[in-house]
Amino acid sequence: MLQLKNVDVCYGSFKALSDISMTVDTGELVVLLGANGAGKTTLFNAISGLVKPSAGDIQFEDKHLNGMKPNAVVSSGVVQCAEGRKLFPQMSVMQNLMMGAFVHRRDRAGNRKRLNEVLELFPILEDKAQQPAGSLSGGQQQMVAIGRAMMSRPRLLMLDEPSLGLAPLVVKQMFETIQQINSLGTTVLLAEQNAFAALKIAHRAYVMENGHLVMEGDREAMLGNEQVRKAYIGA
Amino acid sequence: MNLFFQQIINGLTLGSIYGLVALGLTLVYGILHVPNFAHGALYMVGAFMSYFFMVDLGVHYWVAMAGSAGVIAVLAILCERLVFHPLRNSPPIHDKIAAIGILLFLEAVVQMFWGSDFRRMTSPFTGIMNFDGLIIPEQRLLIIVAAFVLVFVLQMFLRKTMTGATIIAMAQSREGAFLVGIDANRVAMMTFAISGALAAIAATLYAPINLVYPAMGHLVIMKAFVIIILGGMGSIPGAIVGGMIIGFAEAFGGFYISTAYKDIIAFGLLVLILSARPQGLFAKGAH
Repeated sequence: MLQLKNVDVCYGSFKALSDISMTVDTGELVVLLGANGAGKTTLFNAISGLVKPSAGDIQFEDKHLNGMKPNAVVSSGVVQCAEGRKLFPQMSVMQNLMMGAFVHRRDRAGNRKRLNEVLELFPILEDKAQQPAGSLSGGQQQMVAIGRAMMSRPRLLMLDEPSLGLAPLVVKQMFETIQQINSLGTTVLLAEQNAFAALKIAHRAYVMENGHLVMEGDREAMLGNEQVRKAYIGA
Repeated sequence: MNLFFQQIINGLTLGSIYGLVALGLTLVYGILHVPNFAHGALYMVGAFMSYFFMVDLGVHYWVAMAGSAGVIAVLAILCERLVFHPLRNSPPIHDKIAAIGILLFLEAVVQMFWGSDFRRMTSPFTGIMNFDGLIIPEQRLLIIVAAFVLVFVLQMFLRKTMTGATIIAMAQSREGAFLVGIDANRVAMMTFAISGALAAIAATLYAPINLVYPAMGHLVIMKAFVIIILGGMGSIPGAIVGGMIIGFAEAFGGFYISTAYKDIIAFGLLVLILSARPQGLFAKGAH
């Protein structure tokens, strides 16, 4: 479904990503592990068209995403739920969700159906629908962010550290929801530092260090890997 | 008592003009994140365009206003495309310098064609309405009504349409707007066009009770800055209420204190309000 071949991204003379090759297949939940500054966000932004790769190729289904504008990437079915959520803080929760449907704005019936599905995933958002998104708690804001991304009808949903800054109990729910989204048919690429929780729901994982992919494997292999355990799980 | 109501009418008139100019400025601020110093020049060129349409082409006032709004909308889009868009990744100071460049350029162009003389532009609404001793010149009434209608239409557009919502979305979170698939270029061009058209309409409304000359934008834009700082940068209600505050302060200050001091009152208010509320009157708290 998604295929990256030898992708490089540079910020000035600093090479943030070098020689990234990876694949995500339809229906998979793939986790991208890595510490702060490893390049996870840069990789997501390159796929989303927010930064331009200096080399390599990004292919989604039969389209080449490199050089595409961010709005064209969203239209083609690749949607990012960014780190830090990037909500519209003074808009209501409902308006935020409906902005997610921007590229499908002409299909009102479809959007209403989709909205009901999103509210089924996050029932609490129905009660908060008219509140400004900025007034919600961190966990609820994260729900709005994921809900907004779901309103864009992604075929590939990229989640950038959705557990960041959330209470442990909320984190657990968050991962359950992500697993649910995946089992309902959306392919998910999940960037995380919370390796243990993320690996529990993943099919496969990549490990990123200093802009390189250093390891790849399925869940069991990763959970059993000594290096991964030491570096990310701490056991 | 009548004199008091007269000042209310004057305040509403001034406030309406300032509000329209400040509204355009605040919308563009949401997109550029720097104040567009060239906005006053667009206002001035708008007045000259209407003057040109009315005096040289002999068209009706309304047609001239529409034509001027169209021309300035295109001019504003050109500014965005040719100047601000190429600078989008530069430090903000470059935008500010470029905006001043546009300002000087437009003034020079206008001077080249029309010279620096003061010109009169007469509107067809020269009558005076008398409500039981309360005298309202038609043009002033027109200004007030037109401003209210425009603000209402703009609010409806921003609140009720998806296209309008993209402008608000982009002002609140640029990255969020990209992530939901909003085309930043389209929103930027649309915002500049609206802001330019508002400036041109404000100038066309105000020109008949003022004069048309190349420096006419200076004081207006200075006050529009005061207004959006007062109201909170990027706040739409702030621009409208701020415009009214400055308009009323000038009308009443000019009448009860001295007309010679009316311009200083706006800036005095700025100092006072910012000492009490440094974030502006309508700025929302932390994001």
